[in-house]
Amino acid sequence: MLRRLLLGAVLLAAAGGGLFWLVTRPQPLDPALLDGLQPGDAQNGERIFHLAGCASCHAPPGAEGGARLSLAGGHALKTPFGTFVAPNISPHVEDGIGGWDVADFANAVMRGISPQGAHYYPAFPYTSYARMEVQDVADLFAYLKTLPPVAGRADGHTLSFPYTVRRGIGLWKRLHLDAAPVVEFPAGAPEEVLRGRYLVEGPGHCGECHTPRSLDGGLDTGRWLAGAPSLEGEGTVPDITPSADGLGAWSPADIVYYFETGFTPDFDSVGGAMVAVQENLARLPDEDRQAIAAYLKAIPSADR
Amino acid sequence: MKRQVISASILSAFLATAVATAAEDPVAVRKAQMQSNAASAAVAGAMLKGELDYNPAVAKAAIASLNATAKAFGDYFPEGSDEGETTAAPAIWDNPEGFQQALGKFQADAAAAVQASGREGPASLEAFQQAITPVLSNCRSCHENFRVRNN
Ligand code: HEC
Ligand code: HEC
Ligand code: HEC
Repeated sequence: MLRRLLLGAVLLAAAGGGLFWLVTRPQPLDPALLDGLQPGDAQNGERIFHLAGCASCHAPPGAEGGARLSLAGGHALKTPFGTFVAPNISPHVEDGIGGWDVADFANAVMRGISPQGAHYYPAFPYTSYARMEVQDVADLFAYLKTLPPVAGRADGHTLSFPYTVRRGIGLWKRLHLDAAPVVEFPAGAPEEVLRGRYLVEGPGHCGECHTPRSLDGGLDTGRWLAGAPSLEGEGTVPDITPSADGLGAWSPADIVYYFETGFTPDFDSVGGAMVAVQENLARLPDEDRQAIAAYLKAIPSADR
Repeated sequence: MKRQVISASILSAFLATAVATAAEDPVAVRKAQMQSNAASAAVAGAMLKGELDYNPAVAKAAIASLNATAKAFGDYFPEGSDEGETTAAPAIWDNPEGFQQALGKFQADAAAAVQASGREGPASLEAFQQAITPVLSNCRSCHENFRVRNN
């Protein structure tokens, strides 16, 4: 009797394990998506690089000016799940991504999968980057290749069980990795608003800080950009929907001015983690800032 | 209308400094000093954007007011004033050298702008822009590390 029970338990565990294996397996990009790619345009790639804030995590901690282009990693992200350390993504062949091809890179950025087929942790905000156009990702790759190769690997992550099990992320991705746009607009919505949606929801990954998270760390898209406790450290990240507490009283020109200069309509100044984002937004072409502002004024308000 | 708002903010820049020194509560003082900063930045911003005609005397007043705040601001962070209605970050007390460094840079940049503005104020909008831009970059860099939003 006991033996049969044991046997049953073993079989069940094996079946469960098999199922776990099945639902957690990496799902790479459709190779057909990569077939039609044009050769990467490093100039557009640079624009995407700033918008996507890759240097905010992958530049060495405290780096300023040109040193922010040496993407040796080392920046630590302290989260409730443990401390993640951004790795070296400079074009160094051994220590960085110098040996990767564009398919490896696109699968990392848009699907959170390593060239060896392991899942990345979503501290790397690929749930937003998943919404990028693959050509923009290829352009970004071309730009990254123009940056200096840096030797040396960053420290590993400090996580506790069960977060140490990368395979489990596959399950999480089934719930939270979705390349579809978050905010749906009716047919005939202005081109500028749609362009803004792409910039904010995709490369800009604004929702990663401004949207609250559910217990498992996934974004609560029902409260999109409605403000959230800061994931790292103290304080809160403000509501940037057109609500009374958010950007309701800001004109589109006010929002654009904030992105350019860091000053709010009351001439308070940008602070905290938004400083790096604002400095990046200030480098974009003006039409991108206008498009982001148009989108932020068009989305559902948090106090609707 | 816009001009009225702007002259009101010029006035409040000077008033804020005056009120500040009279108050007792260090949190209230430093917030009033920051409001004075904001008012000076608003005047500067209005001239730089072309919403207000350039005027060397007004430019000089904005610079002088920023300089006054920069000199006094650091005195209003006693131990224990990290609580209550404040957005001052714990880093001010956890990393005092870093905060002193940020203050020192603000003071040095403001003092250099005072030097550059001379007796009559910066002669042209370009000269004003050159003098004040480094001062205004301190707002962002100090708020990056030493202020935390909590509402
Ligand atoms: C919020 C911080 C953050 C931002 C922003 C960010 N990354 Fe990362 N990135 C990480 C972390 C953390 C990891 C490690 C993930 C892991 O080990 O599972 C990572 C991993 C990677 C990897 C895998 C490297 C390897 O050796 O396997 C690549 C490639 C990468 N990021 C590229 C980028 C690019 C390109 C951008 C900008 C489009 C970017 N990252 C933006 C935090 C970030
Ligand atoms: C790394 C986290 C992070 C990311 C990414 C981020 N923000 Fe922010 N944002 C913040 C924080 C923190 C603040 C509060 C800044 C402060 O202390 O003044 C803020 C403030 C703002 C404000 C001013 C709101 C107010 O009431 O003062 C706007 C507008 C804004 N963000 C827009 C954006 C947009 C657009 C994006 C994407 C391109 C973005 N943010 C990405 C963290 C972030
Ligand atoms: C050396 C650091 C530092 C510099 C430089 C600085 N600030 Fe501040 N600022 C702070 C701190 C700290 C607070 C939070 C004060 C509090 O709530 O106790 C603050 C708060 C503020 C506030 C909100 C005040 C309130 O009523 O709650 C405004 C507005 C402001 N700063 C504007 C500016 C402007 C504009 C500049 C540039 C001209 C500037 N600050 C430069 C540190 C700085």
